Amino acid sequence: MKKLLFITTVVLLGACQTQTEQASVNPFYQEWDTPFGVPPFEQITDEHYMPAFKKGMEENLAEIDVIVNNPEAPTFANTLEELERTGELLTKVQRVFYNLTSSNTNPKLQELQRELSPLISAHYDKISLNEALFKRVETIWQDRENLDLSDEQLKLLADTRKSFVRSGALLNEEQKAQITEINSQISELTTAFGQNLLAETNGFELILEEDDLDGLSEGIVAAASDAAKQKMEEAITEQDQLKYEGKYVFTPHRSSMYPFLTQSNRRDLREKLYKAYIQRGDNDNETDNKETAAKIAKLRAERAQLMGYESHAHFVLEERMLKNPAEVYDLLMQLWKPAVARAKVEVADMQAVVDEEGGNFKIAGWDWWQYSEKVRKAKYDLDEAALKPYLSLDNVLNGVFETTNKLWGLTFTELFDINVYHPDVRVWEVKDKDGSHLGIFLGDYFTRSNKRGGAWMSSFKGQSNLDGRERPIVVNVCNFPAPVGDDPALLSFGNVTTLFHEFGHAMHGILTNVTYGSMSGTSGPRDFTEFPAQILEHWAGEPAILKSFATHYKTGEVIPDELIDKLLKASKFNQGFANTEYLAASLLDMDWHTLKADEELKDADAFEEASLSKIGLIDEIAPRYRSTYFSHIFAGGYSSGYYSYVHSAVLDSDGFAAFQETGDVFNPELAAKLRTHVYEKGSTEEAMELYKQFRGRQPKIDALLKVRGLDGSTD
Amino acid sequence: MRILRTIVFCIFLCSSFSGLSHPIDELIILDIEQGQLNVKDQQMTAEYKAALKRQRMRRLAAMNWQEKFVLFTKAGVEHIVPKGLDHILFVLGLFFSSLILGSLLWQVTAFTLAHTITLALAALGIVQIPGAIVEPVIALSIVWIAVENCVFKQTNKWRPFIVFCFGLLHGLGFAAVLNQYGLPKGNLVPSLLAFNIGVELGQLLVLVSAALLVWLIRNKSWYRQRVQIPASLMIALVGLFWFVERVL
Repeated sequence: MKKLLFITTVVLLGACQTQTEQASVNPFYQEWDTPFGVPPFEQITDEHYMPAFKKGMEENLAEIDVIVNNPEAPTFANTLEELERTGELLTKVQRVFYNLTSSNTNPKLQELQRELSPLISAHYDKISLNEALFKRVETIWQDRENLDLSDEQLKLLADTRKSFVRSGALLNEEQKAQITEINSQISELTTAFGQNLLAETNGFELILEEDDLDGLSEGIVAAASDAAKQKMEEAITEQDQLKYEGKYVFTPHRSSMYPFLTQSNRRDLREKLYKAYIQRGDNDNETDNKETAAKIAKLRAERAQLMGYESHAHFVLEERMLKNPAEVYDLLMQLWKPAVARAKVEVADMQAVVDEEGGNFKIAGWDWWQYSEKVRKAKYDLDEAALKPYLSLDNVLNGVFETTNKLWGLTFTELFDINVYHPDVRVWEVKDKDGSHLGIFLGDYFTRSNKRGGAWMSSFKGQSNLDGRERPIVVNVCNFPAPVGDDPALLSFGNVTTLFHEFGHAMHGILTNVTYGSMSGTSGPRDFTEFPAQILEHWAGEPAILKSFATHYKTGEVIPDELIDKLLKASKFNQGFANTEYLAASLLDMDWHTLKADEELKDADAFEEASLSKIGLIDEIAPRYRSTYFSHIFAGGYSSGYYSYVHSAVLDSDGFAAFQETGDVFNPELAAKLRTHVYEKGSTEEAMELYKQFRGRQPKIDALLKVRGLDGSTD
Repeated sequence: MRILRTIVFCIFLCSSFSGLSHPIDELIILDIEQGQLNVKDQQMTAEYKAALKRQRMRRLAAMNWQEKFVLFTKAGVEHIVPKGLDHILFVLGLFFSSLILGSLLWQVTAFTLAHTITLALAALGIVQIPGAIVEPVIALSIVWIAVENCVFKQTNKWRPFIVFCFGLLHGLGFAAVLNQYGLPKGNLVPSLLAFNIGVELGQLLVLVSAALLVWLIRNKSWYRQRVQIPASLMIALVGLFWFVERVL
């Protein structure tokens, strides 16, 4: 009996063991047999990422080795197409990881992200600097005339070769060593720039007493009080804790600063916070960014010169829709004059309010938010609270689905049996006019504490037709307020625009239909990829479309015309300011990056001042970002690319005008062109060519001026 | 090849990830502009719970009434077996009170009738009593029933009335879990009915299982001494423990 018991126990234990072993197989190593290949989120744990990343990188390098060591002569098929197939595991884990660290993170993932970042960039360095690989690509490139390649294949070949060349593949050894040295210096400096800026932003706080709160709403006061409590919790010494007890804290983070500048009646405190914001990185202390910025710009110029370009901007723009600095300056300056003219009118409007109130001061930068709000109330009188009941999330989703249905015949079916990474994520299958499967769309709309702010589109699976028809899985992540109680989620009109915008990106990711995955969806140049997103926003503001979906969630009543009128009029509000601050920053970006390598290195303040006085920026407005906190260009990837936003805006306004000119915003012929030439094409052709095929001509800026009320028509 | 797209970003534009339309470097910018994410477990859990309910409601809204009927019947059963341990013990308490079928039937009917009434009233929002009161009293009701089993050999005539009163309480308990679970806006009444049917089925399951287990020994002389009283005492103890736990 005892023996039997023993045997049973052993067998049972053994069974348990195999079970746990089975459970611990890393899901990234398996084929995903989930519906539509949606990642099996419920099986993936934080421990699976690091091993999968490491294995993914190893496999990736091994695959590259196989291509490089192929004894056969290089061909398009055995080199470029094989290259397309590499990195499958790495891509798989990367997509899940980076999506979740943005939308559903936790301390463990945050730590992993810090660990992985240098590993991954080192990994890609190994591939981009692989000379043998480049040699194969170059051999094919030299022979391209004789190869009978399709246009798409030629573009892939050209792009691939270009990316090697732009990493320095054509340089001699000495030059290559110089480039590597410059790159590592730049990388250190950009990291330092970001860290300094973070320290400067977190380092300032406005600690207020009860009687400093004049004008602030209850919600804002509560948030400031929470901020103080948070600081108290984080404080180490008792003295520090006492500093915050019963106080209210405001910081130069925009979410804290803007409400304060708008509401506070204390002009002295507004000035203090505003100045702290615009002085970030410019305080002559150990976290000062003036020298850092100047050094980065200088190194970039040197690198461009080594590569044979006139300036860093020339180097970057070669890959963009606008091909050189002259074209960018031309666009920006065309907008600059009307924008500043409009801003001056706005200053006068605000000064009138000040004078009327007997304020006896001249409008300054720190007054703008408060007085523009007063002008807005008087002139436009749009009550956001009255609008919201018409804009429930479900209604707006129906609106955007209906819009794409009328444009391209798409249909959306919500799926309920798919495992997602958070219960707020919704899943739809997108089908084409003929009922065929196009892709999977995930919508993750509500804000939560472990999601980053802002809104974005991303994908869990790409599209490709290389080895059979593979359709994509894309996601939209937003930060709309979650519903309270049993009421539906209600959006502001700003939220609605965001939803349409991100949905436009999603359509770019879903309608795409190309052979090679690396050229699919949103892979095009930065000054183009916002176009498919931004153009969709125009449909959200069309009265007829608004009326089709904006019905009151309680009564079912359609949104009244009067409310729509106010809404559309309000969209032109404060455009002088918004455009001026943005254009000033874009021009500043261009000035920094058209510097020549041998030009004298000036300090950032002097450089900036010269740059801004040259164009005539008015005192009441600072550039959207001053040099010392312009993280887009000195810590992120927007160097000589900050203009991209407005360039895309030129395209979307001009593109939507094409529909308006026909008198039908769903004009079938244009809609079909927009789909085939823009949404389907990815980066398989030059972006400007794609645009011209859709529009029939080059883009013009007139429509944008009108949309933004900069054509002199706004009173 | 996907990687080569990334290379361009990596080398020249800092590290970046090609799959995002707002690349990773933009997230660095967000860190600076908005401050780093400060993840708090407690808040995450609360958000998760609310989201889970929204997800269930969305699924419900997409179902037709037959599907909802099946779903809520199942939910009703599950809220007895295995999730409703306190209700199981109460029903067992009734079971150990009497071996006369008639008496048991009366009690169970009273219990069912009562919890149906309060479940409907609470689910429709007509009656609302906080769980902090209902839950401990439910625990006490278990103690009461079990103690009575030990004191009286046969049930007294007041028993069905007392059971009815306790049934009212248990109905409120069901309503609370049902509310957490989420009732659909459409087909409210059929779903409520289905849930109730499920609860009855669960109850029946408990009773039948218990009956099967004691079928052969029910007429033994030692049944009361060795089974009925010890079992009731156990039930009373557990009920008492829950009462203390729920009050604290």
